[in-house]
Amino acid sequence: MGEASAHPDLVRVTVDDREVEVAPGTLVWDACERAGVFVPVYCAHKKLEPVAVCRMCLVEVEGMPKLQPACATRVADGMKVRTLTEQVRKFRDSNLEFLLLNHPLDCPVCDRGGECDLQDFTQRFGPGRSRQSIQQKVHFDKAIPLSDKIVLDQERCILCWRCVRYYEEVTGEREIVLQQRGVHTVVDTFERQPLRSQFQGNLPEICPVGALTHAKYRFRARPWDLRRTASICSHCSYGCNLFIDARDDQIARYASSDNEDVEDSWLCDRGRYSFPEYNGRERVTAPEAVVTGGRQVVSHREAVARAAGQLLRIISDRGPEAVAVVGSDLMTNEEAFVLQWLAREVIGTPHLDHRLRPTPHLDPADFELSIAGIEECDLILVLGEEPERLAPVLTLRLHKAATKRGRRVERLQPPYAWTEVAQPQRVGVISSELDRDAGAAIRDQLRGAGHTAQLLTIMERVNSRGCQDMGLLPGWLPGYLAAPQAGMGLPEILQSSATGKLKALLIVNPSAELEAAPEFEAALRGVEAAVVVTPHPGAASRGASVLIPGRTIVEKAGTVTNAEGRVQRVRAAIEPSLTVPTDLRTLGELAEALGTSLGVSPMATPVYEKLAAAVPAYRGAQAGMRARWGSGG
Amino acid sequence: MEGAQPVPDGLVLTRYQGAPGLTTLDGYRKVGGYRGLARALEMGPEAIVAEVKASGLRGRGGAAFPTGTKWGFLPQGVFPRYLAVNADESEPGCFKDRVLIEEYPHQLLEGVLITAFALQASHAFIYIRGEYRKQRELLEAVVREAYRAKLVGKRILGSDFGCEVVVHGGAGAYICGEETALLDSLEGRRGQPRLKPPFPAVKGLYGQPTVVNNVETLSNLPYIVTEGGAAYAALGTEASPGTRLFCVSGHVERPGTFEVPMGRTTFRDLLELAGGVWRGRKFKAMQPGGGSMQVLGPQHLDVPLDFKAVADAGSSLGAGALVVMDETTCMVEVSRRLVDFYRHESCGKCVPCREGTYFESQLMHRLEEGSASAEELASLADICAGMDGRCFCPLGDTATWFVMSAYRMFKDEFDAHVGAGHCPVRAGVGAAA
Ligand SMILES: Cc1cc2nc3c(=O)[nH]c(=O)nc-3n(C[C@H](O)[C@H](O)[C@H](O)COP(=O)(O)O)c2cc1C
Ligand code: SF4
Ligand code: SF4
Ligand code: SF4
Ligand code: FES
Repeated sequence: MGEASAHPDLVRVTVDDREVEVAPGTLVWDACERAGVFVPVYCAHKKLEPVAVCRMCLVEVEGMPKLQPACATRVADGMKVRTLTEQVRKFRDSNLEFLLLNHPLDCPVCDRGGECDLQDFTQRFGPGRSRQSIQQKVHFDKAIPLSDKIVLDQERCILCWRCVRYYEEVTGEREIVLQQRGVHTVVDTFERQPLRSQFQGNLPEICPVGALTHAKYRFRARPWDLRRTASICSHCSYGCNLFIDARDDQIARYASSDNEDVEDSWLCDRGRYSFPEYNGRERVTAPEAVVTGGRQVVSHREAVARAAGQLLRIISDRGPEAVAVVGSDLMTNEEAFVLQWLAREVIGTPHLDHRLRPTPHLDPADFELSIAGIEECDLILVLGEEPERLAPVLTLRLHKAATKRGRRVERLQPPYAWTEVAQPQRVGVISSELDRDAGAAIRDQLRGAGHTAQLLTIMERVNSRGCQDMGLLPGWLPGYLAAPQAGMGLPEILQSSATGKLKALLIVNPSAELEAAPEFEAALRGVEAAVVVTPHPGAASRGASVLIPGRTIVEKAGTVTNAEGRVQRVRAAIEPSLTVPTDLRTLGELAEALGTSLGVSPMATPVYEKLAAAVPAYRGAQAGMRARWGSGG
Repeated sequence: MEGAQPVPDGLVLTRYQGAPGLTTLDGYRKVGGYRGLARALEMGPEAIVAEVKASGLRGRGGAAFPTGTKWGFLPQGVFPRYLAVNADESEPGCFKDRVLIEEYPHQLLEGVLITAFALQASHAFIYIRGEYRKQRELLEAVVREAYRAKLVGKRILGSDFGCEVVVHGGAGAYICGEETALLDSLEGRRGQPRLKPPFPAVKGLYGQPTVVNNVETLSNLPYIVTEGGAAYAALGTEASPGTRLFCVSGHVERPGTFEVPMGRTTFRDLLELAGGVWRGRKFKAMQPGGGSMQVLGPQHLDVPLDFKAVADAGSSLGAGALVVMDETTCMVEVSRRLVDFYRHESCGKCVPCREGTYFESQLMHRLEEGSASAEELASLADICAGMDGRCFCPLGDTATWFVMSAYRMFKDEFDAHVGAGHCPVRAGVGAAA
């Protein structure tokens, strides 16, 4: 803000004697926010079109005889807005009295208590008393299961229409409708059909009160019982930002954050409701090692020493290439970087990988198109169903691009081809890894025809992109540099282990896919030493010669990189119930025991600095930015 | 049509009254019907708009917006455009559109076609109140007949102009008379008012420029086109030009519709046309404009039917109704009934109307039964202040107007109900009888 002359495109608005300059067409509500003036709203929502039904935001605008809805009125140059006048104060009082007339006295048993806009605004602006007796309240249905995920209480609903508009505008599914009229109006599903959307979990978050609640969070906690940690959804490569709300080291819920560049404040149900897997699942509780006669619980220090001893013996007997290293795309960038360093620099083996599927081709141009950039494309080509199946929230971005931005979205079926673009356009091509070659071909062909075309390749797991960037791959060093020596990939590692060609395995955080593969058990049986770091019991822990407990992704700090190459932070939201060192520390200690020091403290930040030195694209990207790969990225 | 012929000359809407077979094309043609349409097609759109502006015609749906000005809001060069005809007539005390449909359906259709031509609208939708079933069937028959006679459809009367006419029945909601709720209902959505802007003229039916006009408004068009806007205006006064069809009901000897010149006629004249207060009783109060408008008393009987004069008296001509109340009427009861009407008809979209009408209604029931306390009665003004001017659409605002004006004008009567345990007015009437 400053002199008007500096911003000829802006208009000047006064809110309660504070002057702000905003773009023409800005909503009064936003102008108030800019001026630091709080205006209570119920129906307004940053991601939804204004409807002005709750009237909570009515304010005085000089020159207009009636109070105006701040959420739906656009600013004009020189507009004077007043939010603190007697008229406004009185109306807020009235409106809250109206809202409470038929509202149940549920606060003590309502999941929303403590974080409810109706409670909060009543406290702040509302009447201190009620003038209607509770006998006169209109009653509605309560605790209606709209699905196995969502519960509706029609009495608590203040009819702000957010849920209805969410479906209309954000998902396009229209599963919640308004029924009846006047004071009998309710929201409901049509004929009580269960909700089917895969984005239901956003409903309780946009609901300003306790009308729509999560079945999984019912009677679980009050907000002040929860510890909130900003992190990243660990369920796919889209990298949705979220808050992990934990109570007593159990995750109570995931809550949306608002990163416009990524999830745009919406989560899919698969991700949102995935947290129970971090609460109840069985854990590897103590380090163990095979000593003469069987496996025993040992101290962490001894486990690391024995692991190093076993590996060193095989390295000296059979050479470093008798050892293979296996990670997974559930690891952070820091862990992946250290693990590949450990393999290459400390052990000296080229055999390392992180997933069963071979990685045929790698190129940062595979993820040139950013998620937010999708909306800027005139035409968006989606190859098959895989991208949206892998990353459901992508569907909402595509819907937004099509409906709010008027973009053309085409979903192609194999065999993939696209020829029909007349004028030069910006085209986005979105594929899964499986169809990456087809996607790249279409992109190249469109570029050849004079269009601006970019590809976004959607991957499988939370850090699939990061593990590739970090070179946790045979044949690829960090930063997509070709390795001097091509090593074995995971399928070959398993085979060579089973046949006895490989003598030792170092396995960190194995994926569920690997744990379930029959050839994995055979491989573990075939090697002399299997050093395993894992949080969960399974084939790996059973076949380990040294077993060290690991942490799950909600128990550690570090960065992960999403499909578009955005480096984002995960943070420890809960502590494992027993003392488990971080995987990074374990790896650092193992390196030390093998005779090479990591050189920096085995913590996320110093390790990030080390990896950024090796991968220049990651320099300065830690604040949630995309890694800068050449010109495109 | 019942009632005496009030002004033998100078009738517009009811000028053909008494002619046989007016609901058929032949009958209407015999009195000169569709000459206006033929004339309009010769004049061209601009000349028609000029005549309508000259006529000073103001909307008869309630808001009295100048019709020519409204038509002028259509953005240049945006097509298709639509005309929506508001036949939802649900205002308490209003039944003039029904008479115009029942008696002069071809006159309405002719007005619709002239307007559609003036606006270059490709479709006209007549949205008719759900309860008007017979009237809807009649209109449908009239439209069919007109299609057969090439008065509707492509190349009307051999011209280049074509217009489809669709008759659509509502489902019984007062709010669907509000122009944007009408459009949503027409589109098959829940009938609730839309956020404005954009106004229908810019973004209306199916997102296209749309004009919404009342049945009576459009029924004037054949006259304006054939006789000229100036002739129409001259029937009334300068400030309130033309004539209007008023619905007089309530405690009168001969309730009915009466076409009278604006500005020169008074409420007393209307009352007399309807045979005066019934059963020899005394006049107590009247509600002009329909259920939404403020009450007027005996002191207002000589106010002329002029927009400004009625506004100065504290009310409005609204949709052209006059409900007369005799001395036995309990103003609390009337208020309660009207408030119940609004509670029932509130669409539920906005908080002050949805909850406020319910609050009001609970209170008025208790007051009528004589069980409300003085404190409760005192909160009435507060409740209404939280609604009036705060609602999303005028329905909620107007839900307070009658009751507040009655409370001001008949404060003693309201106060007498407090803690009385019964209705003192009815008790008084009983004692007197
Ligand atoms: C609650 C409400 C109900 C209305 N009902 C009617 C109606 O039944 N008929 C009508 O013509 N106008 C009705 N109106 C007025 C319309 O919104 C609109 O102003 C009118 O149809 C415009 O036509 P006119 O300019 O020819 O009067 C209503 C308005 C409100 C707010
Ligand atoms: S929705 Fe809010 S005000 Fe209503 S019962 Fe729940 S916590 Fe209380
Ligand atoms: S359920 Fe919640 S979001 Fe939906 S209308 Fe009611 S209060 Fe608003
Ligand atoms: S005032 Fe509000 S609730 Fe009432 S009818 Fe209008 S929009 Fe609906
Ligand atoms: S927030 Fe503005 S009317 Fe609801």
